[in-house]
Amino acid sequence: MAMLEGRNLRKTYRLSRRNSVEALAGVDIDIETGEMVAIMGPSGSGKSTLMHILGLLHAPDRESEPEAELRIGGQDMTRLSDSGRTRMRAAGMGFVFQSFNLVPTLTALENVALAAEYAGVPGRAAQSKARDALAAVGLADRADHRPTELSGGEQQRVAISRSLVNQPKLLMGDEPTGNLDTKRSTEVLAMLRRLNEERGQTIVLVTHDPEVGAACDRIVRMRDGLIVGNERRALVPRPRRIDAVSTPALVMG
Amino acid sequence: MRLLRELSRRRLRTTLTILGITIGIWALVVFASMANKVNGYVSSGSDYYVGKVIVSDASTGGIGVGVVPIDLAVADEIRAMPGVAAVDPQVQVPFDAVEFSGFGMPSIITGRVADADQGLDRSGVEAAQGRLLTADDEGLLVTVLGSDLARELGIALGESVDLRGVAFEVVGILAPTLSSPDGSAMVPLAAGQALFLDTLPPTLGAALDASELASQMIVYPAEGADQAALTERIDALPAKLSTMTSADFDQQVGSTTLIFNAIIIGVAVISLVVGGLSVINTMAMSVTERTREIGIKRAIGGSRRRIIRELVAEAGVIGVIGGVLGLALGAIVVLLANEAGRSSGTILFDLTPLTALFAVAFSTILGMVAGIVPAWSAARLDPVQALRYE
Repeated sequence: MAMLEGRNLRKTYRLSRRNSVEALAGVDIDIETGEMVAIMGPSGSGKSTLMHILGLLHAPDRESEPEAELRIGGQDMTRLSDSGRTRMRAAGMGFVFQSFNLVPTLTALENVALAAEYAGVPGRAAQSKARDALAAVGLADRADHRPTELSGGEQQRVAISRSLVNQPKLLMGDEPTGNLDTKRSTEVLAMLRRLNEERGQTIVLVTHDPEVGAACDRIVRMRDGLIVGNERRALVPRPRRIDAVSTPALVMG
Repeated sequence: MRLLRELSRRRLRTTLTILGITIGIWALVVFASMANKVNGYVSSGSDYYVGKVIVSDASTGGIGVGVVPIDLAVADEIRAMPGVAAVDPQVQVPFDAVEFSGFGMPSIITGRVADADQGLDRSGVEAAQGRLLTADDEGLLVTVLGSDLARELGIALGESVDLRGVAFEVVGILAPTLSSPDGSAMVPLAAGQALFLDTLPPTLGAALDASELASQMIVYPAEGADQAALTERIDALPAKLSTMTSADFDQQVGSTTLIFNAIIIGVAVISLVVGGLSVINTMAMSVTERTREIGIKRAIGGSRRRIIRELVAEAGVIGVIGGVLGLALGAIVVLLANEAGRSSGTILFDLTPLTALFAVAFSTILGMVAGIVPAWSAARLDPVQALRYE
């Protein structure tokens, strides 16, 4: 079943009265439930814009022809208001960013609990959910540390646990390994892979990093605001071990 | 707790902002306490004049202690007029021989026949200890002291008190009224007349008979009587009298009260503008610094309303802290000033619970209202743009 269906997605950014940029020039995309997909492409290819639209941070152009369609879990998203998109982001989406983006004044636990609170979980329950989510990424003992007291890898794991605390339909990553060294980046990637395999978590990652792409089931290639390629991993049984990360086995899809 | 942590990120800036509000609220508390006191005097004065016409010699004029004597015979003339229920002739003598020059109510010795008002006086003074004067006290050297005066003089019930060189026995001490009787000594009319005669210049005094004197008369109009017509009739008497009604009093004193209240409103407005602007400035800077953070919160599902609530609450906390500090500082000033003035009877301030509550509520609301503008602009940030902000 398709977790996410996008049709005719366009996005034009007006830079000034006469100058506008078409960041997304009409994209059709389907992401299956339980799939782990990488969106790759050079800078300015529209991959971030696509992620912002799929992640409901921005709405697609509404006046364009043919009409844009966006469904998540079968629900229509194109007509949602800003607050409707916000609610959907809170309860149905998890985000992991390149620069971790934790709130600096809050502890690891509070950062994770904040996302639960935004999804409507009351304070005490949010705290205990956050504790569980931190334990799942192996950071139970770092719960009361501020972001500045954590390493980059640890911060990104906190961010991952924050993105998971509400058991979202969709986990979105924007260059999640971009600020990490090879070792940490492998760790984070292995963690995402495991989430996908063990919990069936649907994951969409925007990345430059070929290793990230190699760890995914499918790579969507973009250029000039359009999807130019869809590379699917061979339908061979996926190796259970994280060595999969370093052994790309991709064929054209 | 989280709010305080947010506020302590920029300690100096937060402290300075709070200090700005503190000073504004401090000024508000001090001025409002002063206004309370003044308005209290005025309204008790105003209440005092209701249903009365105060008659004094024309040369005395206005309010205050009548210093030019009126012939007691005038009382009978007025009593005979239509629409007069009672006439209560009194003598009032300053407690201190030295001219009183200060703020607040001067201490006064009032001499009158106890029942002369025929129960029409509504000021409702009561004895806390001992008793009030009665008509039977006429001719005796007895007195009832106001609560403040008794405390200042350190004189207890049954002791003897020296009133302008004459020893009086204290037969009662009044319950506090928070108005002029607190600083007064009540004596029988005859005793008061004797004291009054002594205050007059010897050349004048020698020609007068003490028992014929009054310094003012309180005329109680009968129910339904035309007060204006009555004052006209009194003014028309050959004795050259001046009359004072509650309307006259309100008119005279009302302008003073207006100026006072204008000062309070002025202080409130200035602290509103200065405090409010500094909160807006502080919160706007916070929002700019935290643009990225606001982007994160929006991205992971924090609603606009929630962002606004967080920031407005933060601004409100600045307001509460500033308000409480300002109130504390104002209370200290009021207490010290009242303590310093107590010996001279100059109680300048009255910090009521209502004023205290108002000051803190005012600064809290001020903080929150000032926080709305920056909070609104924060809530309207595009999460994607905000996340890119460096």
